[in-house]
Amino acid sequence: MWRCFKYLLPLLALAQAGPARAEPVHIVTSIETLADLARAVGGGNVKVLSLARGYQDPHFVEAKPSLLVPLSQADLLVYVGLDLEIGWLPPLVLGSRNPRIQAGAKGNLDASAAIDVLDVPAGKVDRGQGDIHARGNPHYWLPPVNALKVAKAIAVRLKEIDPAHGADYEASLQALGAAFKARAGEWSRKAAALKGMKVVAYHKSWAYLSSWLGLREVGYVELKPGISPDPKHLAELILLMKAESVRALVIESFYNRSIAGQVADAAGARMIVLPSDVGATPRIRSYVELVDAVLDALAAVK
Amino acid sequence: MIASAIFPAALLATQLARAGPISTTSEPPAPGELVQQFDDLLVTTAPLAQAHKAQAPAGGGLMNPDISVIFDGVAGAANRTRASSAGDDPDFGGPAGRRTGGFAVQEVEVGFQSTVDPYFSANVFLTIPNLRGIEVEEAYAVTTSLPAGLQFKAGVFRSAAGRQNEQHLHLQDFSLRPLVNQAYLGGDGLRSPGAQLSWLMPLPFFLRLTGEILSVSPGAGPTFGGGLRSSPAFLGNVKTFSALGEAWSLFLGGSAAAGHAAPAGFTEGAELTANGPRTFLAGGDLYLKYMPPNRVANYLALAFQAEYFWRRTFADGVNSAQSDAGFYAQIVAQLSRRWHLGGRFDQLGLPASALQPKGDRISAMATFTPSEFSRLRLQGQREKVDGGGPIYEALLLLEFSIGAHGAHPF
Repeated sequence: MWRCFKYLLPLLALAQAGPARAEPVHIVTSIETLADLARAVGGGNVKVLSLARGYQDPHFVEAKPSLLVPLSQADLLVYVGLDLEIGWLPPLVLGSRNPRIQAGAKGNLDASAAIDVLDVPAGKVDRGQGDIHARGNPHYWLPPVNALKVAKAIAVRLKEIDPAHGADYEASLQALGAAFKARAGEWSRKAAALKGMKVVAYHKSWAYLSSWLGLREVGYVELKPGISPDPKHLAELILLMKAESVRALVIESFYNRSIAGQVADAAGARMIVLPSDVGATPRIRSYVELVDAVLDALAAVK
Repeated sequence: MIASAIFPAALLATQLARAGPISTTSEPPAPGELVQQFDDLLVTTAPLAQAHKAQAPAGGGLMNPDISVIFDGVAGAANRTRASSAGDDPDFGGPAGRRTGGFAVQEVEVGFQSTVDPYFSANVFLTIPNLRGIEVEEAYAVTTSLPAGLQFKAGVFRSAAGRQNEQHLHLQDFSLRPLVNQAYLGGDGLRSPGAQLSWLMPLPFFLRLTGEILSVSPGAGPTFGGGLRSSPAFLGNVKTFSALGEAWSLFLGGSAAAGHAAPAGFTEGAELTANGPRTFLAGGDLYLKYMPPNRVANYLALAFQAEYFWRRTFADGVNSAQSDAGFYAQIVAQLSRRWHLGGRFDQLGLPASALQPKGDRISAMATFTPSEFSRLRLQGQREKVDGGGPIYEALLLLEFSIGAHGAHPF
């Protein structure tokens, strides 16, 4: 047995040495919106990396082993929560062997804890209702108020992890708030113009946006969340859209558009590809640009 | 194209009646209100107090482990029975060498997963293959907070030998385990009580080293399972991953293991009186996948996977030295959101030995996935393994998963 350890010991010593902790706080986020908010709040004191790309379906990211490399070095992991990333993030967090970001650790931030959750199912929850999120709708980052709540939660956590730069994080949060306030007038004007607009959505992910803008979600292309539609459902949906004079069918930029496009055509509506994350298109480089892009896309139909 | 005109107007009425409850309406805030909302959030930052809201946990059982049940049932037919099959291959029974088929419950798996405490996470998987009684497929604790990229696992677990050996049945693309897994790692795969230490090396790319010590029970498997309690099997594994751009991934692994094989004529369950002949096993695995992260244009994805095992059984007083090897290679294509097609070729005995004669199998499958939680698969294969002439078999699989739905490892 000792022979075995004799060879292991130098290996262990090498492992213990590891890389010296770099100066900036290493932040890894699940989606690009969170990365943008973390960059805004963290400024020059942090290094931020997003695991998923903005043009990717955040439900189905491949748990590539290469993602373990940044996670193993992270000081803070920020994720959407409400089981959005349940299909890929938990094994990566465990596999990263990084005690700083395990559940319950200071470096594990579930951003959903900062917001008021919508669509929490009442009564019995089962998958006959589709691939539903039992803890509520996780697509919450679009109303800017929620984004600011998340940014604040990140700032609070950064101050705990890196108290030496606490004042910087506070100042950056205020600056982000000021940037939002500068856009508030235009956002509210555009929002008011969209009030009451009837839409059909591909996936049930716009509840927070609809609540903010006063959109009326009349129906969904998916039969149930995550379940592909059948022809009967689509035929009914088209009739409904015609009867309700729905002019817009909204779809996230990462879904296949062939079915949604056919439904929109048949119902005399327009398909609006709505970006749902920073990086959804190359032109959306920041959260503010994301909100602008969403409002402009909806306004184009109204 | 969708023909909407042919549907009766009666549908419309029911749809209109339904329209009410699913709409979401609220008052959008006036311009001043939005600024006020931002200010309300920002004003309290001076002390940067707790921004978190307490949330009620979902469901009543906060402390219960995540529980899942996965069922694999098949209907099938074959021109004759197999001489031997892997533990979780479907078994229709019937007299040796005769036509067989019918329904079989290939596996019922019950899984419990939970964090133990701030130091450990634990998994327990119970399996009932072919309704033959309950077995512990895996039960282990794994550390969550060792420093320096180290992770320690202890219990009974599937060994890191190769790629398929670590996977449970429902993660596999075909309904039968590859022939090499059965021939080199055992009918149930290499899973034994033991301990594992793995190290994620602090490098800019993924490189993981794993070492295992396993007490393989006597007779369990053709390569190991011939060692006395004081002579466990040792295994080392290295895995590396390269992301070749965003769409392509290459996952490579290499394994080497040493132990003792059961002596000739030994039957499982009997008492070992001495170590069997020493054995050495080496293997390599390759997984090449194409899947663009942006799936707007289509759902096309391709995955090529191959594993190779080579074994040396050393001479002892009774047995002479033998070397043999085998491999499988498979390709699986995702054609649409719900359809996968695949083919696999298995080869044993390249080179052949007295312990492992030549044999091969060709399989093809089509899998339909109605949702993340159910799967239908049609699979056919021709197998020439045991010298009794080819076996032609067709299988129709129904798989479902209820309860907690674990993430898919890469």
